[in-house]
Amino acid sequence: MKKNKKEKVYKEVESYSKFTWKTLLLYIVLAAFCVIIIAPLVIVLSSSFRDPSNMTSPLKLFSQFTFESYAQAFSRMKYPKELLNSIITTAGSVAVVVFISSMAAYPISRVISKWSKAFYYFFIAGLVIPAQMVIVPIAQNFGRFGIPNSRFTPMIMFITCSLPFSVFLYAGFMKSVPKEIEEAAFLDGAGVIRRYFSVVFPLLKPATVSVIITQGMWIWNDYFFPMVFVSKSDQYSLPVGMLQFLGDSQNPAQWNVLFASCVLSAIPLIIVFAVMQKQFINGIAAGAVKG
Amino acid sequence: MIKMKRLAALGLAGVMSLGLLTMAGCDNSGNENGNGGSDGDITITMMYSGTAAENDFETEVLPDLVHEAFPNITLEVTKLPDDQYYTALKTKLASGECPDIILVQPMYAGANSVFGLAEAGYLEPLTDMKAIELSGVGASSFTYNGEVYGIPSGVTMLGTYYNADMLAKYNLAVPTTWDEFLNVCKTLKDNGITPIVMGDKDMFVMQFGLYQIACSEIYAANPDYDKQLRTGETKFNDEGTWDKVLSMYTTLYDNGYIDSSSLGLGSAQAIQKFIDGEAAMIFDGSFDYAAVVDAKGAVDFTRGYFPLPASNGDTYAAMAPGAGPAIYSGSQYKDECKAILEMLYDGESDMYKAYVDSGRIIPTYGYGYDQVNPIYDKFMSLYEEGKAFYWCNQAWPAGTEEEMESKLSEYIGKQGTTVNDITKAMQAKFDELLAASK
Amino acid sequence: MKNNSLVFPKKLYFFMLPALALFVVFWVVPIFQLFYYSVTDFNGVNYDYNFVGFDNFKILFSEGTLVNSIKNTLIYALLVVVGTNILGLAVAMALNTKLRGKTFFRTCSFMPALFSAIVVGFIWSYVYMPGSGMISSIIDLFGGDGSNVNLIGGFNTALIAIIIVDIWKGFGTTMIIYLAGLQTVDESLIEAGRIDGCSTWKLFTKVKLPLISSTITINIILNVIAGLKAFDYSFIMTNGGPGKATNTLMYTIYKIAFKDQMMGKASALSVVSFIVIIAITIFMLRLLNKKEVEM
Repeated sequence: MKKNKKEKVYKEVESYSKFTWKTLLLYIVLAAFCVIIIAPLVIVLSSSFRDPSNMTSPLKLFSQFTFESYAQAFSRMKYPKELLNSIITTAGSVAVVVFISSMAAYPISRVISKWSKAFYYFFIAGLVIPAQMVIVPIAQNFGRFGIPNSRFTPMIMFITCSLPFSVFLYAGFMKSVPKEIEEAAFLDGAGVIRRYFSVVFPLLKPATVSVIITQGMWIWNDYFFPMVFVSKSDQYSLPVGMLQFLGDSQNPAQWNVLFASCVLSAIPLIIVFAVMQKQFINGIAAGAVKG
Repeated sequence: MIKMKRLAALGLAGVMSLGLLTMAGCDNSGNENGNGGSDGDITITMMYSGTAAENDFETEVLPDLVHEAFPNITLEVTKLPDDQYYTALKTKLASGECPDIILVQPMYAGANSVFGLAEAGYLEPLTDMKAIELSGVGASSFTYNGEVYGIPSGVTMLGTYYNADMLAKYNLAVPTTWDEFLNVCKTLKDNGITPIVMGDKDMFVMQFGLYQIACSEIYAANPDYDKQLRTGETKFNDEGTWDKVLSMYTTLYDNGYIDSSSLGLGSAQAIQKFIDGEAAMIFDGSFDYAAVVDAKGAVDFTRGYFPLPASNGDTYAAMAPGAGPAIYSGSQYKDECKAILEMLYDGESDMYKAYVDSGRIIPTYGYGYDQVNPIYDKFMSLYEEGKAFYWCNQAWPAGTEEEMESKLSEYIGKQGTTVNDITKAMQAKFDELLAASK
Repeated sequence: MKNNSLVFPKKLYFFMLPALALFVVFWVVPIFQLFYYSVTDFNGVNYDYNFVGFDNFKILFSEGTLVNSIKNTLIYALLVVVGTNILGLAVAMALNTKLRGKTFFRTCSFMPALFSAIVVGFIWSYVYMPGSGMISSIIDLFGGDGSNVNLIGGFNTALIAIIIVDIWKGFGTTMIIYLAGLQTVDESLIEAGRIDGCSTWKLFTKVKLPLISSTITINIILNVIAGLKAFDYSFIMTNGGPGKATNTLMYTIYKIAFKDQMMGKASALSVVSFIVIIAITIFMLRLLNKKEVEM
């Protein structure tokens, strides 16, 4: 099956459709569409290269190239620190999510009992609750457990909120993994824990990639939990740093600097995307597996 | 081989998750035992609203000065934009992780109102501090049940910034009555200039104009208007009170003196338009002085500042003690916090001088009092005559002004809302919030 | 069967412990606390609160907050679902042909999804700014009067304006899922249909769509849930305004809880939203599953 698919892709790369009026039309429509979609981004990029005081006629693209705005944005955001914080938060949360959500999905998709189904829906139901709604009781629970505000506090919430979708993905994917391999491992006398980590988990790689990509993307971009649960400004992540520009009356509408910050805060993920485009596409597409 | 790698990766993930929990725990003990135990070194946390400017006083200057004066104390300051500040404060109070020093607003204003927080027992009484004594009348806005819970930071005011060059060009004097003010607007508009720009997308800016009018038109006649609101003696929909204020204000929209596209402008964008010389006036507070007056726009011009004149010419100014620091009652370091605040507000220390010089406050005593920025002269003389009132929302339960703003923006957006609808909605919201806070 | 339970005994449930513990403590318990607060006058800071029965619910109904915010939320969710899916499916179909530069077009469509909501909010605040924003400038360029175009500040347009932003950011993800779905469609079935003389439209509705029905279900459900949870752009771009035109359920809850300081009332609204969201999601799932079977 897999081999078959690969061949197909290969074939597609080889044979492009012949040039007809129909394809030309398609090209024109697609190109126009893409221009509309990325127009805001292009203007943002072009304006960010201008002097902070030069904001006239933004439609004259790339009429000036200076890094003045970037220098200002870089220092105001404390960029290296915020970048590092974002990386720590995202990587740490995603690692734990992969670990515990795959484990949780394992019995759900393997043990035949009405409990498995109940747990499955129990987790999935969490998908529909937005965090803004429950933030105060959550904070109270942190207080009850004596968990202080630190860079790890939002991570706990990131992990918790990632569980529903990750369990859903893993459980859906696990159903397509044949049980026979495990039965063989069982007959070889492997214990459950070894069986899970050495046999099952490696087989889940496509689901793992999907969890890393989908959950990593929202955790990287989320501002809400770090805003609420981090107390020290040197533990801010990039999106919280961007919040500082919101309603910033000290520097009214310094669009160029703001745009430079926007570019700075988006660039890491764009680079990662450029490098791992295939994983991104496959990871997101794996959301299509239906549990 | 590959298997081994995978196992190692998994192990790592496991260790990280364990580490996460233990590190969270460690951080906790670290905080409580005064950071690592080298004798007496402590960290005090402080949270303010607003956005950190370049070389910001609270986030950058103050921590250094504190460290100089108290070598064993490290001050950690964070600043968040207003809405985010409310959210963060509330969740931090709920989790028992409140910073040692927080910013509170006078009386009932905002989600960080000193009265609300004091009532819930979150604030430490500061009544016997010297800084309170120095601050004089301002302290009364921070007094709840006989105890003072916050330190007023000088005085702040709401007024009308104007482009002096533009007014001069059309031979317009600073207006002293409401009719003169309307005339100024008319002349400017007739000459193709936008008289007033407002960033009504950030609805809170509507308060800047309204409260100026309310001071002269309501409180000048009845200083106890707000107190009576609470007892039910007065109502927002009493004739000649808020209906008058609102109809005066909405005149500005009806005649196109304020462009109704203001609903699509943010407050910062409106300020930018003013300093770019695209509009002649803007209602704003002294807290935005740096952005409105210091900042450079597309054209250079002289700025002035006046209180919106009363319809009968007897103008009162909208001036209030500035939001100030309070100490969290659960703080481990109340004495240290008090020591810092005493120094910050003593009227003579380097810390106080730096605070005043930063332009963050307009002092009412001590260093700098006799040389307040001349742009505020009109206000300061009214203040000394006693012709000044606090901002209305400080006496209302938080949320009343939001109702007023959203109803008013319906009016501005021509949704068929009348002035009476606005006052009625304000009264209904007021009653609901008052009942809830009892 | 017996063999199965030997290989997969119930003690495997221990694997769920870490996830379950986190989920219960920091998600489920707080939700139940919310139910409790909904019948109190808790203000979010003062723990000296009273039991008020169903007063909070009554007020929500009588003052119209509930109707307004549910209406806005439903419009939001509906338009986001329709817009995102039509756009996503259309682009996916276009890219599922033998086209040069496919990767480029795909990257363009997906690009907005990489930006954080806060950055997107800033970018579009500029796009919509009356007078000197992008849309106004473009209209000026073509000789129109751009300063009168005020999408984000108009009562009838503000909600649409932020919906467009949401679609702009979200359709790329939906497109990629559709693309994956389309690639599993067996070309020979399409060929067979063509030989039978089906029109292109008929091929699309009667053959292609049914073949990707499970992809459609997942995309619709994910977007419905996201749409009903809409919060970011009301929070970042409009503050719920002008007036209450962009007050979605989540933004209203946030506003009542943190600005009006009525945690009890906010909890009551949360409980109502909770029921609304669950009901709509289950209804959609049922409907789509039925359709899937029919197809």
